[in-house]
Amino acid sequence: MAEYDLTPGMAPNLDRHLVFPLLEFLQERQLYDDDLILKAKIDLLNNTNMVDYAMDIHKSLYHTEDVPADMVERRAEVVARLKSLEEGAAPLVAFLQNAAAVQELRADKQYNLQMLNDRYQIGPAQIEALYQYAKFQFECGNYSGAADYLYQYRALCTNSERSLSALWGKLAAEILMQNWDIALEELNRLKEIIDSKSFSSPLNQVQSRIWLMHWSLFIFFNHDNGRTQIIDLFNQDKYLNAIQTSAPHLLRYLATAFIVNKRRRPQFKDFIKVIQQEQHSYKDPITEFLACVYVNYDFDGAQKKMRECEEVILNDPFLGKRVEESNFSTVPLRDEFLENARLFIFETYCRIHQRIDMGVLAEKLNLNYEEAERWIVNLIRSSKLDAKIDSQTGTVIMEPNHPNVYEQLIDHTKALNGRTYKLVSQLLEHAQAQVAR
Amino acid sequence: MASRFWTQGGSDSEEEESDYDEEVETTVGESASQAVTSRYLQDNASDSDDSDGQKRVVRSAKDKRFEEMASTVDQMKNAMKINDWVSLQESFDKINKQLEKVMRVTESEKAPNLYIKALVMLEDFLAQALANKDAKKKMSSSNAKALNSMKQKLKKNNKQYEEMINKCRENPESEEEKEEEESEEEYESDDEIIEPEQLRRREAKSDSEASQYEDEKADDGEGPWDQKLSKKDRLLDRQFMKDPSEITWDTVNKKFKEVVAARGRKGTGRFEQVEQLTFLTKVAKTPAQKLEILFSVVSAQFDVNPGLNGHMPINVWKKCVQNMLIILDILVHYPNIVVDDSVEPDENESQKGLEYNGPIRVWGNLVAFLERIDVEYFKSLQCIDPHTRDYVVRLKDEPMFLVLAQNVQEYLERVGNFKAASKVALRRVELIYYKPQEVYDAMRKLSELTEDGDNGGEASEESKGFEESRIPTAFVVTPEVVARKPTFPENSRVLMDVLVSLIYKYGDERTKARAMLCDIYHHALLDEFPIARDLLLMSHLQDSVQHLDISTQILFNRAMSQLGLCAFRVGLISEAHGCLSELYSGGRVKELLAQGVSQSRYHEKTPEQERLERRRQMPYHMHINLELLEAVHLVSAMLLEVPNMAANVHDAKRKVISKTFRRLLEVSDKQTFTGPPDNVRDHVMAATRVLCKGDFQKAFDTIVSLDVWRFVKNRDTVLEMLKDKIKEEALRTYLFTFSSSYESLSLDQLTKFFDLSVSRTHSIVSRMMINEELHASWDQPTGCIVFQDVEHSRLQALAFQLTEKLSILAESNERATEARVGGGGLDLPPRRRDGQDYAAAAAAGSGAASSGGRWQDLSHSQSRQSSGRAGYGGGRSMVLGQAAGSGYSRGRGTGSGYRSARHQDASYGGSGRIAQGGSALRGPQSDVSTRMVSLKGVRS
Repeated sequence: MAEYDLTPGMAPNLDRHLVFPLLEFLQERQLYDDDLILKAKIDLLNNTNMVDYAMDIHKSLYHTEDVPADMVERRAEVVARLKSLEEGAAPLVAFLQNAAAVQELRADKQYNLQMLNDRYQIGPAQIEALYQYAKFQFECGNYSGAADYLYQYRALCTNSERSLSALWGKLAAEILMQNWDIALEELNRLKEIIDSKSFSSPLNQVQSRIWLMHWSLFIFFNHDNGRTQIIDLFNQDKYLNAIQTSAPHLLRYLATAFIVNKRRRPQFKDFIKVIQQEQHSYKDPITEFLACVYVNYDFDGAQKKMRECEEVILNDPFLGKRVEESNFSTVPLRDEFLENARLFIFETYCRIHQRIDMGVLAEKLNLNYEEAERWIVNLIRSSKLDAKIDSQTGTVIMEPNHPNVYEQLIDHTKALNGRTYKLVSQLLEHAQAQVAR
Repeated sequence: MASRFWTQGGSDSEEEESDYDEEVETTVGESASQAVTSRYLQDNASDSDDSDGQKRVVRSAKDKRFEEMASTVDQMKNAMKINDWVSLQESFDKINKQLEKVMRVTESEKAPNLYIKALVMLEDFLAQALANKDAKKKMSSSNAKALNSMKQKLKKNNKQYEEMINKCRENPESEEEKEEEESEEEYESDDEIIEPEQLRRREAKSDSEASQYEDEKADDGEGPWDQKLSKKDRLLDRQFMKDPSEITWDTVNKKFKEVVAARGRKGTGRFEQVEQLTFLTKVAKTPAQKLEILFSVVSAQFDVNPGLNGHMPINVWKKCVQNMLIILDILVHYPNIVVDDSVEPDENESQKGLEYNGPIRVWGNLVAFLERIDVEYFKSLQCIDPHTRDYVVRLKDEPMFLVLAQNVQEYLERVGNFKAASKVALRRVELIYYKPQEVYDAMRKLSELTEDGDNGGEASEESKGFEESRIPTAFVVTPEVVARKPTFPENSRVLMDVLVSLIYKYGDERTKARAMLCDIYHHALLDEFPIARDLLLMSHLQDSVQHLDISTQILFNRAMSQLGLCAFRVGLISEAHGCLSELYSGGRVKELLAQGVSQSRYHEKTPEQERLERRRQMPYHMHINLELLEAVHLVSAMLLEVPNMAANVHDAKRKVISKTFRRLLEVSDKQTFTGPPDNVRDHVMAATRVLCKGDFQKAFDTIVSLDVWRFVKNRDTVLEMLKDKIKEEALRTYLFTFSSSYESLSLDQLTKFFDLSVSRTHSIVSRMMINEELHASWDQPTGCIVFQDVEHSRLQALAFQLTEKLSILAESNERATEARVGGGGLDLPPRRRDGQDYAAAAAAGSGAASSGGRWQDLSHSQSRQSSGRAGYGGGRSMVLGQAAGSGYSRGRGTGSGYRSARHQDASYGGSGRIAQGGSALRGPQSDVSTRMVSLKGVRS
């Protein structure tokens, strides 16, 4: 199933640190050779400051106790740099840790800077040092510290570019700490900035959006409300265009979100078109499933794809999230997906059929006969389906639903009456007004 | 020195004589011009008519002229006797005029003795008259005036002949030689008209002047060759050959300046100039100088062909390319030489030699030269008959240009002038984009094979040339640093990508647009429809192309048609139709693609327009096969229209996908007898007729019998696809047409009828059901289609039409009232918008089968034009009905325009286009008028 793994496509759009959870997941799923993943991890860590972790991985990869000299050197270097940065940022950190002093800060940035400068001798250099320190902390893997410092930094920073990268850093830190609510807030803040800011080139803006969408996957598939929000975000024209041009693999997540969503959305039709159009650049079982149901009306194919979808979901780090309940784990999204996909098939199937054999239907829905019958009965009871079951022949019979021609005609002309009436009254009013004048 | 030379002796004048014999005609002209100038100097009233008339004089009139002159002199004598200055003045003018004639007929350069004597006489008489103050006072006022003016004129005139006059006074017979010299010098000072002979003389003379510089160091021994020099350039050249050590930068520079100064003047031999300059390159002293001269050689070579219509001779073109390569050699070899055309460099910049380290600026513009060479190549291909061998031979020169372009581009990139490099890259792109991989490979092989041989041949030729001129080597030897062989990557796509990305990065707007179109074309050529389409959509070129120049518009049309062909090959019929329909709507495909001039009955073209159009033509090898294009267009229109017509039998006029196709069908239906199909059109029409009846096999056979399909890449798969599509549409047509006759229809039977797989049939029928094109549903246990009798009867359908028209009427009423009353109470705009939304929803509903969002953008802007046209059609028919242009009738007209636009939208299945329908609603006429203008822009 490695062919549907998106990690290689996703990784370039993520922060180094954000790739770790993905690699962990892959390791767990045993999709790739363990050694390969460990190597990838070391490569990742090479440019971060998490040297100790890298050493551990190195040991487990090569089964030795020796650590390469450059790693040891790098460790010393990192520690030294940490020290120097700490010193640089020390005054400000001390100030920030003093709760009483922090009370003095106000909403006015200018005032704060002035105040810090006058009373604590904290100038721009120290504030800059704070940023560097926070960044370093983040690279060392101390996300909570980094998040705190970045938050403080943003309150003091005047450079909008810097502020933006601090926001990215904060978002990454919150995601890695799994504070989904805060992360969502940060995400929205970042989105606003990206949409409103004027970028030097449209390409940069698109790139920022792509990043934002990739990062947001962590949040949306963990947050309770994420599945509706992912549609809200991804399906905006600007973001959809970005997906289509640069990151079509994100269609998988959008498609899944559409399928899983309870409410059918008006945008769904358009989305189907997008999928159809992007078939040449990206397809996986999930998008193919939609194509089968809504483009080709190939229900056997859809059923086959549904089974593949299950695999894909289980192997996707975002979709295949496990929930541990007592002693067995489930993948909640898979169950929801299958249920809804079944509904999709059935719905379309019913629209074009007059009479359906229950056995065939059960097969198409990946259910056994009894289950299928119960399922249909439930649908009929909840008046989602206008049909009846003929248990003698074992078929479902749809109620024909054709509007009467006369009704249609009346509908068409009904409005005309009112309009004409209004027109006449208006004319009369006008005429009277003229007479009066 | 000069006069010394002229007085050397009789041998000299003999040579002169023989020279004249050789070139009698030129000399005639020359002396005439000389005379003109002298007269001009005399009386300040040159009259071009006169000189024109005098050209008619022939040589046999020599004696007559002399007689005339003599009689004038007699008249002057008489006038002197009676002291009549007025008539004297007249006679003086007359004699000057006669002098020209005489000079011409005698073909001599000196004034005849008779004239000089008259001058002497006049002068004496004048002095006498002036001295005699009493007599002057007695004169009448007119006479005195004439005397004064005569005095001035004579003074002026005689200055020229001063020496002769002096001589004449001393010794009336011996002034001949000197006079010649005098007159010569006189006209040399005048630069107005320079005849070839004269020019050479000038060169010769100034050359001898130049050699005067040398005199300072060299001894006087050059006398003899100095003489020969004056005869011909060859001799001058020989001078350089003889004493290579004596040639200095100054000499060469001087000579160079002269040759360049003569450029463009009437009578300058263009070939000769090139030769002279080429020679100079060999004797140039410094690389910078050689470069400078080479630049002039190249521009002189461009001058060889003066007209806009003709092309540069091919051998000159080749030499030109070689020269450019040498220029590059120099530039690469001496990186401190900078080519620039923005600043006028210092006079003696090129004097700086090898050892000079700083930057040397030389005037020149590599890109402009390169572009000109390309234009000439293009023109030559336009002019050569494509069915001759010449054409093929000429095509083989292409690698030569490509290597040059490649080198120039590399050089420019190295220098860091990326903007210019992108322009060069565009030239390369434009030579490659239309080549399919096979052609590209062939070119690559050819360039590898022939370049070797060519180079060898060229080199030996050159060395032969050296031998002839007896120069062992040129002074500045330039090693061939620049590659003489083009390097092509295996795949044309790779090359295109490299070039195009450079252009996208650095090019200006037009360059980018052109590169983008070439890119699209090339992608389409390689069957990469989605990529080509995305490029087109993302560049928004279809919006802005109307503001671009005509050749870019042509390129756009070419790209669109190639895109259409590509869409057809990959089986996207509606896309193919979308791309091509516009091209065929006007019936001027040839013109739009610049592949031939189409004659229009209604528009007479002015010769100027025709010439312009001819200049825009594509060379034959770049043509897109028009028959194939037409076949693809009509077949895709057929595939879309046949089921569409079947679906809307009741009012066939409503949903028209392809107007062109409908019109053709009507025409062919009107024919009383239909013969066997002859051309593409007939074939498609025949196929349409059988397809309407559902006979897919016959339709397919008819289409396949077209022999244009052999031009299609992977023909078999395409035809397979076509057969599949025909079957599918036949099935749909069949269902549309006969569904009302069936109660139920089994799937098995259908699959058997149409030779389609079960799943495919099922899928097609299901789609029709979902889209509510077919009112039926499946009966799953039996595998049957059960038809529901909801098909509207004729009465019902008419009733629906009526309601629709009513609502349009209501709407236009409202609008009319709104216009009158002032729109207060009526909430029209929202309602209208509602209507549009409804249309959009309907369109979206029916558009599931059609393409998706981004593609719609394309068809969106295409159909903005087409919907504009549809609006026009509708509007026109309405306006015809009610000719009065009142607000009401306009309302109706626009209403119907709106409607047709909307229907078209619905049939295409676009959602974004509704807004355009709205704009068509607001002003279809104006929309159309702009459209027409833009079309005119294309044609003129």
